[in-house]
Amino acid sequence: MPRLVLPARGRLFAARAERLRTLAASDALGGYLELAAAIAEAQHAAIGRLETPVRDAARLAVAPEERRPPLSPRDLKRGPEWHTALAVIVAGVASVSTFPPAVAAVCERLTVTSADALDAFADRLLAADGRDADPAAAPFVIAALQAYWTALAASLAPEDVTIVPQPSHCPVCGTLPVASIVRSAAPYAGYRYLHCGLCASEWHRVRVECTQCGAIKGIAYQSVAGGPAAVRAETCDTCRAYRKIFYQEHDPAVEPLADDLASVALDLLLAEAGFHRASTNPLLWQPSG
Amino acid sequence: MATLSRRDFLKVSGATLAASSLAVLGFTPQHALAEVRQFKLERATETRNTCPYCSVACGLLMYSLGDGAKNAKASIFHIEGDPDHPVNRGTLCPKGAALLDFVHSKSRLLYPQYRAPKAKEWQRISWDEALEKTARLLKTDRDANFLAKSAAGLTVNRWETTGFLAASASSNEVGYLTAKVVRSLGLMAFDNQARV
Repeated sequence: MPRLVLPARGRLFAARAERLRTLAASDALGGYLELAAAIAEAQHAAIGRLETPVRDAARLAVAPEERRPPLSPRDLKRGPEWHTALAVIVAGVASVSTFPPAVAAVCERLTVTSADALDAFADRLLAADGRDADPAAAPFVIAALQAYWTALAASLAPEDVTIVPQPSHCPVCGTLPVASIVRSAAPYAGYRYLHCGLCASEWHRVRVECTQCGAIKGIAYQSVAGGPAAVRAETCDTCRAYRKIFYQEHDPAVEPLADDLASVALDLLLAEAGFHRASTNPLLWQPSG
Repeated sequence: MATLSRRDFLKVSGATLAASSLAVLGFTPQHALAEVRQFKLERATETRNTCPYCSVACGLLMYSLGDGAKNAKASIFHIEGDPDHPVNRGTLCPKGAALLDFVHSKSRLLYPQYRAPKAKEWQRISWDEALEKTARLLKTDRDANFLAKSAAGLTVNRWETTGFLAASASSNEVGYLTAKVVRSLGLMAFDNQARV
């Protein structure tokens, strides 16, 4: 059974864009999902134009012994390629005229922001206090960083990565996962994978276990009554956190980041029931609540 | 977002959405907020267990609906092999795959029952009564048929007229204890999980 699934750089963002478009048609936040689809589509274009970024060979060599993620944003020196990715994404979204004027304004603002300021902003997003960052620019900047890190992760071989038992952070870049997906096709059938919010790597984690605190008792699967069977939240009565879990068995098209964004109703209901999200969706930033 | 390690109380509400990327980029969360008022949560569980049939002891995932409240009975609606279990890796044999019907079977035995010799009817008895009766029958049989020495005069301490079949879903420790208890009585016909 594969413990780690590295991202397919040629398909990931195109598939996500397609899924977001499908979901946009029937979701109450359809307009925003259209924007997310445009971002994902631009990410696809950006990653296509991205030369494989240079990996830090020295760090990669040392990471297995240290049992640390080889592409951790804390250790890795970002190359300038991500600025190119951001420019492609901003231009791609700005070319769509149907979005609210605020979208064009942010695109304009990001085009004239200096490289140094963008790097400082990226550092804040990648650091612990990132979610209090400017919520208008954050989805665009994180999208560029996703394209960059996905290209990096896709260039790895599975043996470059050390898997610790029951990892709660991405073994490739150390980021928190967005959501879980229970895959339905061999060789992944029935296994739960966590999907990284930055580099889109997926790693195996035993099912019926809190991905935040590791508790195995008091785990429930909550969903919107009458809603899609493929979309649930794995809630933990111990730490009161949840991550959504998507079942390919019920809908083969589910995509962790897209479906998480398209199920805000579930988030609202769970917040009322006293549960909190274990991690943010990189395309939807909000102040701490 | 990326490397949050501290406990993070991130709740999604009308207020947080109104200050989120969504709102500041010119989209309105009003539809979503209005829509959610007619929705409610449904709670399901997935529970690990071990197949009760044979000594292979396959891992199971049992799916049930219910809010887990004390007075509400959870109802199992699906059982499948546990993909993470090292023995069966998600698979089940036809008997195991039909466990749901076993759980909900109308003729499932729920309490001890007794049918007196020559009687047609089963009668319900208490656990104390059942254990008492079983112990009595075992003791009588052992007293009558215990074989301390073989025909050749060797000490054998055998009890050959009773057999013992133990559960499949037992741990090593339970297997050890069962063997100790059963063998110390001199029982020869005995099968349990410890054989596997």
